[in-house]
Amino acid sequence: MNKQEILEQLAKAVVEGDKNSARENAQAAVDEGLDPLEAVDRGLSKGMAVVGANFESGESFLPELLMAADSFNAAMEILNPLIEANKQKISKLGTALLATVKGDMHNIGKNIVATVLETNGFEVVDIGIDQSTLNIIEAAQKHKADFIGLSSVMTTTMPYQKEVIETLSEMGLREKFFVLVGGGPVTQKWADEIGADGYGDTAVDAVGVAKKLLEKKG
Amino acid sequence: MPGLFDYLERAVTGPILTQKDFQMKILIPNVRRIVKEFDIAYDPAVPVPGDNALADRLFEAAIEFLALTGLYCEGTNRIIQFDDQEIRKGLRDYKKAGTFGEGRDRSVLTPRKPEDTKKPWCHLGNGIVASSDEIAMALVEGFASIPQAKSVTIPAPDTVRGLPIMGGSPLELYGVISSIESARKALWRAGRPGLAILNLCPAATTAAGTIAGCHPSTGARPSDGWLIDYLAEMTIDFSNLNKLAFITYMGGNVGSTDLPILGGYAGGAPGTALVMASYQIAGCVFMKGDYHLSGPVEMNLGCSSTRAALWVYSVVGRAISRNTNYCVLANQYAMGGPATKTYFYEATAELLAVVTSGFAGFESCHPARGIVKDGITPTEPQFNADLADAIAKSGMQADSACELCNRLLEKYEAEIKMAPPEIQGKTYSQLYDIKTHKRFEEYDRLYDEVVEELIQMGIPLS
Repeated sequence: MNKQEILEQLAKAVVEGDKNSARENAQAAVDEGLDPLEAVDRGLSKGMAVVGANFESGESFLPELLMAADSFNAAMEILNPLIEANKQKISKLGTALLATVKGDMHNIGKNIVATVLETNGFEVVDIGIDQSTLNIIEAAQKHKADFIGLSSVMTTTMPYQKEVIETLSEMGLREKFFVLVGGGPVTQKWADEIGADGYGDTAVDAVGVAKKLLEKKG
Repeated sequence: MPGLFDYLERAVTGPILTQKDFQMKILIPNVRRIVKEFDIAYDPAVPVPGDNALADRLFEAAIEFLALTGLYCEGTNRIIQFDDQEIRKGLRDYKKAGTFGEGRDRSVLTPRKPEDTKKPWCHLGNGIVASSDEIAMALVEGFASIPQAKSVTIPAPDTVRGLPIMGGSPLELYGVISSIESARKALWRAGRPGLAILNLCPAATTAAGTIAGCHPSTGARPSDGWLIDYLAEMTIDFSNLNKLAFITYMGGNVGSTDLPILGGYAGGAPGTALVMASYQIAGCVFMKGDYHLSGPVEMNLGCSSTRAALWVYSVVGRAISRNTNYCVLANQYAMGGPATKTYFYEATAELLAVVTSGFAGFESCHPARGIVKDGITPTEPQFNADLADAIAKSGMQADSACELCNRLLEKYEAEIKMAPPEIQGKTYSQLYDIKTHKRFEEYDRLYDEVVEELIQMGIPLS
């Protein structure tokens, strides 16, 4: 296979969610001496862009998105060591720290947002469900997050979104992070009331809001 | 036949794996393979199919899916596994009908079949957030005053003595207790003190909250109903298993409930129908439920009135009602809020699908996706009750319901995708006099207009 064919096969493997093909073609890229960053940018990421667009338009669903991300990651296991050895770096739009707030055991919304953010070029640190306010803030500091994304699927856990924002202010950290909120009962009105920086009605909305906030930040 | 303890034992002895591995290696591949193998195909042109062969294939597919997939227990990271034969035996042996409420408000919930002329069970109201005790009580009194109400859903407060209710805190317990106390008082005021509340406990986030709300002095009774949730998808956590263990022990009515995400882990309409049918089967076999509350929610819209969601209701309703005696109430969500025409179009489409496909009953369709504080009035549940009775009485067939749904979809399909802010409608105090509990004329006019429009379309409302 020539270089162009390898890049096309990498994109195709991601679109089809074919982990084995993603691995094989990543290995082919290494064997043929392709620049690993080019394999990512012009191969794998191209495939992710197709899957992301299909997901946004409703042509495909979460399984396709997850399988694409899985294939992307499988290829990255082969490409990453080379990228590190070359002292290269994959550029990321920003780092998002995601959590479902304390007392809330729901993770599907957060997981969808995580996947859509990743497919749009964000670094995502997902610390899971039922996370206390201080855990969330500590993790955001540790991972130098640009965003804190807070999911709440129950009205009785929504106050914890407010608590995170208030505690950030109390600790003098509010300006360090954008805080985005989401979840079934969460609305723009609630986001405004508690002083969140953004709200996403859907995962795709959340990504759009995150990108706009980053643009504003410059 | 395994009992609850046997299943709880499986939760600590079943195969262990991470949740991600469960989703990627078991759940998603099983959905994709079984949907294909059983030819569960969605045709957008036919949102309400009356295809019995498809329904029966879906039923068999759901048994195979449940037997191969099981339920993932988040508390132990293990799979609660089921055997094909025990699922079939559990379904065969399930003969009981649920009894709800007390005194003259006592009613027995029994199954319906597709195109049944028997009236569906009217479970009226929604567990939305109410901004004050006064509004919560006015709502419950209004729901209970609807003659067809066999049970009600009560609202959840968001504050106690001015403090926000935070899940897992003592305030949650106070919130749960006060919401049930107030609802029972409102039921007395409506003259229906024995009417069952089937969404206990709406303010509870934790099992502790639910258990606190069960104390007899709160007004909760075993003849009410407690909802035990699955998590999307094919997952259950210890909090819900704790509730299940307690409610089973105290002899309360168990309501298994699911809300599969259309477009989520199960994929599109066929996969969503597959998991929804499996939840209902598991509710019967595993939870030994007295009723089941079930409905798909579209991932990007948060409502269940889309074309694909109508199809899911139709095929699952038909599959379960044709092949089991388990009583399932449809859980429905509209994008439109109170006093919007869109709400009435959406609720009508959903009920056409639900009533003709054989659901035992329904919870009145949530206005504004159930997310607007005070975003409901008694008018919407009354409309749902009148319409459901009329559809059943007319003996409507799936093909007629399908044609009407296609015409209704033309009216609202594009609008709910755009979701302009005004689609959320108005709140109780904007539409009703809070002192007299009477509807304002503005809503009277819109209601009369939309009902007339629906009658002109051929909807059997008189």
